[in-house]
Amino acid sequence: MQPQPLETLLEGRRSQPHQLIEVLQDVQAQYGYISEEAIRTISKELGVPLVDVYSVVSFYKAFHLNPRGKNVITMCTGTACHVRGAKLLLNQAISQLGVQPGDMTDDKLFTIEHVNCLGACALGPVVTENGSSHHHMSPGKLRKLIDALRARDEKPEQEADHA
Amino acid sequence: MIQYVSMKIDGAIFKVPKGSSVLDVAIEYGICIPHLCHVPNISDLGACRLCIVEHVVEGRSKVTTSCTLRVQEGMVIKSNTQKIKRLRKNIAELLVSQAPNSKAIQDIAVRCGVKTVRYPFRNDNCVLCGRCVRICREQWQAKAIGFVGRGKDRRVKSPFGVKSETCKMCGNCIDLCPMTITPCDGPMKPGEEYLCGKCESQLMEAESAVDQCIMCGLGEGFQCARH
Ligand code: SF4
Ligand code: SF4
Ligand code: FES
Repeated sequence: MQPQPLETLLEGRRSQPHQLIEVLQDVQAQYGYISEEAIRTISKELGVPLVDVYSVVSFYKAFHLNPRGKNVITMCTGTACHVRGAKLLLNQAISQLGVQPGDMTDDKLFTIEHVNCLGACALGPVVTENGSSHHHMSPGKLRKLIDALRARDEKPEQEADHA
Repeated sequence: MIQYVSMKIDGAIFKVPKGSSVLDVAIEYGICIPHLCHVPNISDLGACRLCIVEHVVEGRSKVTTSCTLRVQEGMVIKSNTQKIKRLRKNIAELLVSQAPNSKAIQDIAVRCGVKTVRYPFRNDNCVLCGRCVRICREQWQAKAIGFVGRGKDRRVKSPFGVKSETCKMCGNCIDLCPMTITPCDGPMKPGEEYLCGKCESQLMEAESAVDQCIMCGLGEGFQCARH
Protein backbone atom coordinates (compact mmCIF):
# COMPACT_ATOMS: atom_id res chain seq x y z
CA MET A 1 0.00 0.00 0.00
CA GLN A 2 1.32 3.39 -0.95
CA PRO A 3 1.69 5.67 2.08
CA GLN A 4 -0.38 8.82 2.00
CA PRO A 5 1.66 11.90 1.17
CA LEU A 6 2.51 14.25 4.00
CA GLU A 7 0.34 16.90 2.35
CA THR A 8 -2.75 14.81 2.93
CA LEU A 9 -1.80 14.05 6.52
CA LEU A 10 -1.36 17.74 7.22
CA GLU A 11 -4.68 18.75 5.74
CA GLY A 12 -6.89 20.67 8.13
CA ARG A 13 -4.16 20.70 10.75
CA ARG A 14 -1.89 23.45 9.48
CA SER A 15 -0.91 26.18 11.94
CA GLN A 16 -2.27 24.15 14.84
CA PRO A 17 0.68 23.40 17.12
CA HIS A 18 -1.46 21.23 19.42
CA GLN A 19 -1.92 18.73 16.58
CA LEU A 20 1.77 17.87 16.67
CA ILE A 21 1.50 14.44 18.28
CA GLU A 22 -1.40 13.39 16.06
CA VAL A 23 0.45 14.35 12.90
CA LEU A 24 3.59 12.57 14.08
CA GLN A 25 1.59 9.46 14.90
CA ASP A 26 0.07 9.45 11.43
CA VAL A 27 3.44 9.89 9.77
CA GLN A 28 4.88 7.12 11.91
CA ALA A 29 1.99 4.82 11.02
CA GLN A 30 2.20 5.56 7.29
CA TYR A 31 5.95 5.52 6.80
CA GLY A 32 7.23 3.45 9.70
CA TYR A 33 9.55 6.26 10.70
CA ILE A 34 9.78 10.03 10.69
CA SER A 35 12.32 11.43 8.28
CA GLU A 36 14.29 14.63 8.68
CA GLU A 37 12.43 16.08 5.75
CA ALA A 38 9.09 15.23 7.34
CA ILE A 39 10.16 16.84 10.63
CA ARG A 40 11.18 20.03 8.83
CA THR A 41 7.90 20.19 6.92
CA ILE A 42 5.82 19.49 10.01
CA SER A 43 7.66 22.17 11.94
CA LYS A 44 6.97 24.72 9.22
CA GLU A 45 3.37 23.77 8.58
CA LEU A 46 2.25 23.50 12.20
CA GLY A 47 4.28 26.46 13.41
CA VAL A 48 6.19 24.49 16.02
CA PRO A 49 9.91 25.31 16.38
CA LEU A 50 12.09 22.68 14.74
CA VAL A 51 13.90 21.85 17.95
CA ASP A 52 10.60 21.17 19.70
CA VAL A 53 9.44 18.75 17.03
CA TYR A 54 12.80 17.03 17.22
CA SER A 55 12.61 16.86 21.03
CA VAL A 56 9.16 15.31 20.93
CA VAL A 57 10.15 12.74 18.33
CA SER A 58 13.24 11.77 20.30
CA PHE A 59 11.33 11.66 23.59
CA TYR A 60 8.69 9.08 22.73
CA LYS A 61 9.66 5.49 22.09
CA ALA A 62 6.76 5.24 19.64
CA PHE A 63 8.48 7.57 17.18
CA HIS A 64 11.50 6.54 15.15
CA LEU A 65 14.02 8.73 13.42
CA ASN A 66 15.47 5.92 11.30
CA PRO A 67 13.70 3.56 8.90
CA ARG A 68 12.77 0.24 10.46
CA GLY A 69 12.78 -3.21 8.95
CA LYS A 70 9.71 -5.10 7.83
CA ASN A 71 9.91 -7.30 10.91
CA VAL A 72 10.54 -5.68 14.26
CA ILE A 73 11.82 -8.11 16.86
CA THR A 74 11.51 -6.75 20.36
CA MET A 75 13.23 -8.39 23.31
CA CYS A 76 12.07 -7.77 26.81
CA THR A 77 15.09 -7.04 28.96
CA GLY A 78 13.18 -6.35 32.16
CA THR A 79 14.32 -7.93 35.42
CA ALA A 80 12.41 -11.19 35.11
CA CYS A 81 13.33 -11.76 31.48
CA HIS A 82 16.90 -10.73 32.20
CA VAL A 83 17.18 -13.35 34.91
CA ARG A 84 15.79 -15.96 32.54
CA GLY A 85 18.34 -15.18 29.86
CA ALA A 86 17.12 -12.25 27.78
CA LYS A 87 20.77 -11.37 27.21
CA LEU A 88 21.32 -14.65 25.38
CA LEU A 89 18.35 -13.93 23.15
CA LEU A 90 19.63 -10.49 22.36
CA ASN A 91 23.06 -11.85 21.52
CA GLN A 92 21.48 -14.52 19.35
CA ALA A 93 19.53 -11.94 17.37
CA ILE A 94 22.52 -9.60 17.08
CA SER A 95 24.82 -12.32 15.80
CA GLN A 96 22.23 -13.87 13.49
CA LEU A 97 21.21 -10.60 11.89
CA GLY A 98 24.50 -8.78 12.20
CA VAL A 99 23.03 -5.49 13.39
CA GLN A 100 22.92 -3.65 16.68
CA PRO A 101 19.62 -2.94 18.45
CA GLY A 102 17.87 -0.01 16.79
CA ASP A 103 19.48 -0.56 13.40
CA MET A 104 17.95 -2.15 10.33
CA THR A 105 19.47 -5.03 8.38
CA ASP A 106 20.71 -4.19 4.88
CA ASP A 107 17.93 -6.20 3.23
CA LYS A 108 15.41 -3.99 5.10
CA LEU A 109 13.79 -7.08 6.64
CA PHE A 110 14.68 -6.84 10.33
CA THR A 111 15.13 -4.42 13.17
CA ILE A 112 16.01 -5.53 16.68
CA GLU A 113 14.83 -3.54 19.65
CA HIS A 114 14.75 -4.01 23.36
CA VAL A 115 12.28 -2.69 25.89
CA ASN A 116 12.41 -2.59 29.64
CA CYS A 117 9.29 -4.55 30.41
CA LEU A 118 6.41 -5.97 28.44
CA GLY A 119 4.42 -6.76 31.55
CA ALA A 120 4.36 -10.51 31.07
CA CYS A 121 7.10 -11.42 33.51
CA ALA A 122 5.71 -14.85 34.37
CA LEU A 123 6.01 -15.87 30.71
CA GLY A 124 9.59 -14.67 30.30
CA PRO A 125 11.76 -14.42 28.45
CA VAL A 126 9.32 -12.73 26.12
CA VAL A 127 10.00 -11.67 22.54
CA THR A 128 7.49 -9.88 20.38
CA GLU A 129 7.64 -10.04 16.64
CA ASN A 130 5.57 -7.45 14.77
CA GLY A 131 3.30 -7.09 17.78
CA SER A 132 2.62 -10.76 18.49
CA SER A 133 4.24 -12.19 21.58
CA HIS A 134 6.29 -15.34 21.98
CA HIS A 135 6.72 -16.63 25.50
CA HIS A 136 9.41 -18.78 27.13
CA MET A 137 11.81 -18.07 24.31
CA SER A 138 15.19 -19.68 23.96
CA PRO A 139 18.01 -18.79 21.57
CA GLY A 140 17.12 -21.87 19.49
CA LYS A 141 13.47 -20.94 19.19
CA LEU A 142 14.41 -17.40 18.33
CA ARG A 143 16.75 -18.56 15.57
CA LYS A 144 13.95 -20.63 14.06
CA LEU A 145 11.55 -17.71 14.31
CA ILE A 146 13.95 -15.39 12.50
CA ASP A 147 14.66 -18.04 9.85
CA ALA A 148 10.94 -18.57 9.29
CA LEU A 149 10.31 -14.85 8.92
CA ARG A 150 13.18 -14.52 6.53
CA ALA A 151 12.00 -17.47 4.41
CA ARG A 152 8.53 -15.98 4.29
CA ASP A 153 9.64 -12.53 3.26
CA GLU A 154 12.39 -13.45 0.85
CA LYS A 155 10.20 -15.63 -1.33
CA PRO A 156 7.89 -13.05 -2.89
CA GLU A 157 10.91 -11.02 -3.92
CA GLN A 158 12.48 -14.00 -5.70
CA GLU A 159 9.20 -14.70 -7.45
CA ALA A 160 9.08 -11.11 -8.53
CA ASP A 161 12.58 -11.47 -9.89
CA HIS A 162 11.56 -14.46 -12.02
CA ALA A 163 8.53 -12.79 -13.44
CA MET B 1 0.76 48.93 42.30
CA ILE B 2 3.11 46.35 43.70
CA GLN B 3 1.57 44.20 46.38
CA TYR B 4 3.68 43.00 49.25
CA VAL B 5 3.48 39.85 51.31
CA SER B 6 5.31 39.10 54.52
CA MET B 7 7.18 35.86 54.93
CA LYS B 8 9.89 34.31 57.05
CA ILE B 9 13.19 32.80 55.95
CA ASP B 10 15.25 31.23 58.72
CA GLY B 11 13.32 33.24 61.30
CA ALA B 12 13.85 36.64 59.70
CA ILE B 13 10.72 38.44 58.54
CA PHE B 14 10.70 40.02 55.09
CA LYS B 15 8.18 42.13 53.23
CA VAL B 16 8.59 41.22 49.60
CA PRO B 17 6.78 41.90 46.32
CA LYS B 18 4.15 39.36 45.40
CA GLY B 19 5.21 37.04 42.62
CA SER B 20 8.91 36.90 43.39
CA SER B 21 10.51 33.56 44.06
CA VAL B 22 11.88 32.49 47.42
CA LEU B 23 15.35 32.19 45.92
CA ASP B 24 15.25 35.76 44.61
CA VAL B 25 14.29 37.03 48.06
CA ALA B 26 17.08 35.05 49.71
CA ILE B 27 19.63 36.35 47.23
CA GLU B 28 18.48 39.90 47.72
CA TYR B 29 18.75 39.71 51.52
CA GLY B 30 22.05 37.89 51.69
CA ILE B 31 20.95 34.42 52.67
CA CYS B 32 23.08 31.83 50.96
CA ILE B 33 21.03 29.30 49.07
CA PRO B 34 23.42 27.67 46.61
CA HIS B 35 21.99 27.50 43.12
CA LEU B 36 23.13 26.62 39.66
CA CYS B 37 20.42 26.57 37.05
CA HIS B 38 18.79 29.83 38.13
CA VAL B 39 19.55 32.78 35.85
CA PRO B 40 18.07 36.18 36.75
CA ASN B 41 15.21 37.29 34.49
CA ILE B 42 14.91 33.92 32.81
CA SER B 43 12.19 31.42 33.68
CA ASP B 44 13.13 28.89 36.33
CA LEU B 45 13.26 25.23 35.55
CA GLY B 46 14.22 23.59 38.85
CA ALA B 47 16.74 21.36 37.14
CA CYS B 48 19.77 21.34 39.41
CA ARG B 49 17.87 20.90 42.71
CA LEU B 50 20.63 22.69 44.61
CA CYS B 51 18.40 25.46 45.85
CA ILE B 52 16.18 23.19 47.95
CA VAL B 53 14.63 24.60 51.13
CA GLU B 54 12.15 23.40 53.69
CA HIS B 55 8.72 24.93 53.29
CA VAL B 56 6.85 24.60 56.56
CA VAL B 57 3.09 24.32 56.22
CA GLU B 58 1.06 23.71 59.39
CA GLY B 59 3.99 22.22 61.21
CA ARG B 60 4.91 19.85 58.42
CA SER B 61 7.84 20.62 56.21
CA LYS B 62 8.13 19.94 52.52
CA VAL B 63 11.45 19.97 50.72
CA THR B 64 11.18 21.87 47.48
CA THR B 65 13.27 24.01 45.14
CA SER B 66 13.19 27.66 46.12
CA CYS B 67 13.69 29.00 42.59
CA THR B 68 10.31 27.65 41.52
CA LEU B 69 8.55 28.49 44.78
CA ARG B 70 6.57 31.76 44.74
CA VAL B 71 6.27 33.75 47.94
CA GLN B 72 2.97 33.68 49.81
CA GLU B 73 1.61 35.59 52.74
CA GLY B 74 2.77 34.06 56.01
CA MET B 75 5.10 31.59 54.36
CA VAL B 76 7.75 29.94 56.56
CA ILE B 77 10.97 28.82 54.91
CA LYS B 78 13.99 27.15 56.45
CA SER B 79 17.00 27.20 54.22
CA ASN B 80 19.77 25.68 56.29
CA THR B 81 18.47 22.91 58.51
CA GLN B 82 20.54 19.77 59.02
CA LYS B 83 18.24 17.92 56.66
CA ILE B 84 18.65 20.47 53.89
CA LYS B 85 22.41 20.58 54.34
CA ARG B 86 22.61 16.81 54.09
CA LEU B 87 20.43 16.64 50.98
CA ARG B 88 22.16 19.57 49.34
CA LYS B 89 25.56 18.09 49.97
CA ASN B 90 24.46 14.90 48.28
CA ILE B 91 23.07 16.81 45.30
CA ALA B 92 26.34 18.74 44.96
CA GLU B 93 28.21 15.46 45.15
CA LEU B 94 26.13 14.03 42.31
CA LEU B 95 26.65 17.16 40.23
CA VAL B 96 30.40 17.09 40.68
CA SER B 97 30.55 13.41 39.79
CA GLN B 98 28.57 14.13 36.63
CA ALA B 99 30.71 17.06 35.58
CA PRO B 100 33.99 17.39 37.49
CA ASN B 101 35.45 19.40 34.64
CA SER B 102 33.82 22.64 35.69
CA LYS B 103 35.28 25.05 38.18
CA ALA B 104 31.82 26.35 38.91
CA ILE B 105 30.56 22.94 39.92
CA GLN B 106 33.71 22.13 41.88
CA ASP B 107 33.19 25.40 43.73
CA ILE B 108 29.59 24.61 44.50
CA ALA B 109 30.72 21.28 45.92
CA VAL B 110 33.15 23.12 48.21
CA ARG B 111 30.45 25.52 49.32
CA CYS B 112 28.08 22.66 50.08
CA GLY B 113 30.70 20.88 52.16
CA VAL B 114 31.49 17.94 49.89
CA LYS B 115 34.68 16.26 51.10
CA THR B 116 34.65 13.02 49.16
CA VAL B 117 32.76 11.88 46.10
CA ARG B 118 31.19 8.47 46.58
CA TYR B 119 29.90 8.18 43.03
CA PRO B 120 31.91 7.21 39.97
CA PHE B 121 32.97 10.24 37.95
CA ARG B 122 31.09 10.32 34.69
CA ASN B 123 32.70 13.39 33.20
CA ASP B 124 29.74 14.03 30.94
CA ASN B 125 30.49 17.74 30.54
CA CYS B 126 26.86 18.70 30.97
CA VAL B 127 24.61 18.70 34.00
CA LEU B 128 21.44 19.40 32.00
CA CYS B 129 20.88 22.62 33.88
CA GLY B 130 19.10 24.03 30.84
CA ARG B 131 20.70 27.47 31.13
CA CYS B 132 21.73 27.36 27.48
CA VAL B 133 18.35 26.13 26.31
CA ARG B 134 16.41 28.75 28.21
CA ILE B 135 18.57 31.74 27.30
CA CYS B 136 18.39 30.73 23.65
CA ARG B 137 14.64 30.35 23.80
CA GLU B 138 13.66 33.25 25.98
CA GLN B 139 16.24 35.96 25.51
CA TRP B 140 17.07 35.40 21.87
CA GLN B 141 13.89 33.78 20.67
CA ALA B 142 16.16 31.59 18.59
CA LYS B 143 15.13 28.12 19.79
CA ALA B 144 18.26 26.74 18.22
CA ILE B 145 19.00 24.14 20.88
CA GLY B 146 16.85 22.01 23.11
CA PHE B 147 16.66 18.89 25.19
CA VAL B 148 16.64 15.73 23.13
CA GLY B 149 15.92 12.19 24.27
CA ARG B 150 14.84 11.29 27.76
CA GLY B 151 15.95 9.73 30.98
CA LYS B 152 19.61 8.88 31.04
CA ASP B 153 19.90 9.63 27.33
CA ARG B 154 18.76 13.23 27.66
CA ARG B 155 21.12 15.64 25.92
CA VAL B 156 21.30 19.22 24.83
CA LYS B 157 21.38 19.21 21.08
CA SER B 158 20.45 21.17 18.01
CA PRO B 159 17.99 19.45 15.65
CA PHE B 160 19.70 16.56 13.82
CA GLY B 161 23.02 17.50 15.42
CA VAL B 162 23.83 20.21 12.88
CA LYS B 163 23.98 23.94 13.49
CA SER B 164 20.47 25.36 13.50
CA GLU B 165 19.44 27.83 10.87
CA THR B 166 17.80 29.82 13.64
CA CYS B 167 21.02 30.19 15.67
CA LYS B 168 21.92 33.87 15.96
CA MET B 169 25.52 33.15 16.91
CA CYS B 170 25.12 35.23 20.04
CA GLY B 171 27.25 32.87 22.08
CA ASN B 172 25.10 33.29 25.18
CA CYS B 173 24.61 29.56 25.54
CA ILE B 174 28.36 29.23 25.94
CA ASP B 175 28.69 32.21 28.27
CA LEU B 176 26.14 30.81 30.66
CA CYS B 177 27.25 27.19 30.66
CA PRO B 178 28.94 26.14 33.91
CA MET B 179 31.24 23.91 31.90
CA THR B 180 33.06 26.78 30.23
CA ILE B 181 35.30 27.54 33.19
CA THR B 182 37.67 24.63 33.60
CA PRO B 183 39.45 23.78 36.85
CA CYS B 184 42.61 25.82 37.57
CA ASP B 185 44.84 22.87 36.71
CA GLY B 186 43.26 22.52 33.29
CA PRO B 187 40.69 20.07 32.02
CA MET B 188 40.71 16.63 33.62
CA LYS B 189 41.32 13.58 31.51
CA PRO B 190 38.76 10.78 31.57
CA GLY B 191 39.73 8.36 34.31
CA GLU B 192 41.73 10.97 36.22
CA GLU B 193 38.96 13.09 37.67
CA TYR B 194 39.15 14.30 41.22
CA LEU B 195 37.38 16.55 43.67
CA CYS B 196 39.33 19.77 43.51
CA GLY B 197 38.70 21.48 46.86
CA LYS B 198 41.91 23.45 46.50
CA CYS B 199 40.51 26.75 47.59
CA GLU B 200 41.45 26.19 51.25
CA SER B 201 40.51 29.66 52.41
CA GLN B 202 37.15 29.44 50.77
CA LEU B 203 36.68 26.05 52.31
CA MET B 204 37.21 27.52 55.75
CA GLU B 205 34.75 30.28 55.06
CA ALA B 206 32.30 27.76 53.76
CA GLU B 207 32.49 25.87 57.02
CA SER B 208 32.15 28.85 59.32
CA ALA B 209 29.30 30.55 57.52
CA VAL B 210 27.22 28.11 55.60
CA ASP B 211 24.02 30.04 55.86
CA GLN B 212 25.01 33.58 54.99
CA CYS B 213 26.22 35.09 51.81
CA ILE B 214 29.89 35.78 52.34
CA MET B 215 30.37 37.10 48.81
CA CYS B 216 32.52 34.04 48.46
CA GLY B 217 33.30 34.58 44.82
CA LEU B 218 32.96 30.88 44.14
CA GLY B 219 32.02 30.43 40.53
CA GLU B 220 31.94 34.17 40.11
CA GLY B 221 30.47 35.46 36.91
CA PHE B 222 27.70 33.04 36.37
CA GLN B 223 27.03 30.59 39.14
CA CYS B 224 25.65 32.80 41.85
CA ALA B 225 23.09 35.33 40.78
CA ARG B 226 24.46 37.70 43.42
CA HIS B 227 27.53 38.59 41.40
S1 SF4 C 1 24.59 31.09 19.97
FE1 SF4 C 1 22.85 30.18 18.88
S2 SF4 C 1 22.33 28.37 20.10
FE2 SF4 C 1 23.57 29.70 21.42
S3 SF4 C 1 22.06 30.96 22.54
FE3 SF4 C 1 22.73 32.13 20.73
S4 SF4 C 1 21.15 31.64 19.18
FE4 SF4 C 1 20.99 30.05 20.78
S1 SF4 D 1 25.36 22.51 28.00
FE1 SF4 D 1 25.96 23.70 29.84
S2 SF4 D 1 24.36 25.25 30.12
FE2 SF4 D 1 23.57 23.68 28.72
S3 SF4 D 1 22.47 22.23 30.06
FE3 SF4 D 1 24.55 21.41 29.81
S4 SF4 D 1 25.70 22.24 31.56
FE4 SF4 D 1 23.82 23.46 31.39
S1 FES E 1 16.78 24.02 40.96
FE1 FES E 1 16.67 26.04 41.75
S2 FES E 1 18.49 26.95 41.05
FE2 FES E 1 18.56 24.96 40.09
